[in-house]
Amino acid sequence: MPALTNMSLQFGNNVSSLLNIVWLLSFFVFIVYGQRIQVYIVGNDISRALNKLKLMKDRSRKEAVDYFNGTGKASGDPTTRIDEFLEYVTIMPVDLDPQGIVGKIEHITETRDERVRSEVRKMLPSAEPIKVSVAENILEIASSLNMIHKIVRHYYLLGKKTNSYILLVQLQMIMPQVLMEADALINAVDTFKLGQPVGDGIGPIIASKYMLTAPKQVVAKDTVMTVSEYKGRTLYVLKAEGPMGYVGEPGVAIQRVIEEMNVPLNAIIMVDAALKLEGEKTGDVAEGIGAAIGGIGTDKFRIEEVSSKHKVPVYAILVKQSILEAITVMRKEITDASDRVHTLIGNLIEEKTKEGDKVLLAGIGNTLGVGQ
Amino acid sequence: MSSPQPSPPQQGTSGKAKFNVYTIEECPACGQKTKRAFQVGDYITKDGANCSKCGNATKITLIYAEPVVKAK
Ligand SMILES: [Zn+2]
Repeated sequence: MPALTNMSLQFGNNVSSLLNIVWLLSFFVFIVYGQRIQVYIVGNDISRALNKLKLMKDRSRKEAVDYFNGTGKASGDPTTRIDEFLEYVTIMPVDLDPQGIVGKIEHITETRDERVRSEVRKMLPSAEPIKVSVAENILEIASSLNMIHKIVRHYYLLGKKTNSYILLVQLQMIMPQVLMEADALINAVDTFKLGQPVGDGIGPIIASKYMLTAPKQVVAKDTVMTVSEYKGRTLYVLKAEGPMGYVGEPGVAIQRVIEEMNVPLNAIIMVDAALKLEGEKTGDVAEGIGAAIGGIGTDKFRIEEVSSKHKVPVYAILVKQSILEAITVMRKEITDASDRVHTLIGNLIEEKTKEGDKVLLAGIGNTLGVGQ
Repeated sequence: MSSPQPSPPQQGTSGKAKFNVYTIEECPACGQKTKRAFQVGDYITKDGANCSKCGNATKITLIYAEPVVKAK
C-alpha cells in the first residue's frame, strides 16, 4: 500500500513540474519572440484585407474592359490600353514656393482630364458623349482601386521585410476605412454603367429645376448656365452639362460671370452634397457660409478669390450623405431633402437680396443622369 | 404616386443592401406623377410617356433607389 501512495505522489509531482517547465518556457518564448508572433498575426490580418482589395481591383479592371468592349466596338483589344491607363501617374507641382501653385495644379489636372477624354474618345469613336463620360468615370474608379491596392501592398511588404511591428499595426488600424472606401468605389461601377444619378448629383438635380425652360449657354468646360427671373431678381443658374457624368468647372464659370460678363452679383448660393459624420442622418440639410465644393481645391480657390475680390457673399446649402451614398445610386432619403433645399434657396434669395438684384445659384456635383 | 407599381427587376446594389431604382415621370399640366422601374437611358429632365390622365407629355423629374422590402 505505501508503495502505491508513493507512486501517485511522485506522478503528481512530475506533472506539476512539467507544467512549471512549460509555463516558464512559454514565458521565455513570449519575451523573445512575442513581437514576431504579433507581426505574424497582424500580417495575416492585412494579407486577408489585401486579397479583398486585389479582388476589387481586378473586378473594376474587368468591368472597364467589358464596358469598352460592349460600348464602342473599339478598334482592337482595349485591354492593353486600359492597363496602361491604370498605371497613369499625375505628377503634382513642387510646393517649396507655393505662390501660384493653384494655377499649376489646375493646369496639370486639366491636361490630364483632356488627355483621358481624348484617349477614351479614340477608343470609342462612335459612342455618344454620355458613354464616353461613363467610360472616363469607370476608368477613374479602376485606377483609384489600382492605386489603393498598390500602396497597401507596398507598406505590407515593407513591414514584413523589415519585421516592423509598428508599421504593420498602423496599416492594420486604417485597413477597415480603406476597405470601406474601396467598397464604395467598386459599388459605384454598377451605378455608372447604368447611367443612374449618384448621391453627389443632388446639387445638379436642384439646379436643373430652375433651368428647364430657359435657354442654356456654355460658360466653361462641361458647364452650362441659364438666366431667368425669380421673384423679381435675375437668377443665374449653373451646373455641369448633363446627363453626362461631368462635374464641370464651376470655379471658372463663376469667375467668368463676374469678371468677363461683368455681372454685378449680389449673392452666390451653392448647393452640394457633403460627407456626413457617423451618427448623422442621410439627407440632413445644413446651411452655411463659404464655397461648398470639393475636389482638389482649384474651383474652391477661384470662387473664394473672385467672391472676396468683388465682395459677393457666398451661401452654402449642404445635403449630408456617406461616401458610399455619394458615389452610388441616388437614395430616396437624399431626394427627400429637395423640398427643404428649395425652401432654403427661396428664403435666402428673399432675405439676403432685394428685387432687381442678381443672384447666382450653382448646383455642384457629378451630374450623371441629370439633364437640364 | 397614383399609378400601379410593377415590381422592377433588381437594379443597383450598394454594399450588402439591394435596391430597386425607380423613375418618376411628372406631368407639367396636371401634376400627375407616375412611378415606374428605371430603364437604361433614363435621365432627369428627359421626356417621358404621355400623361395617363390628361395626355400631355411628361418629363422625368426624379430617379432614386429604395431598398428592396423583403417579403415575410
Ligand atoms: Zn397630366
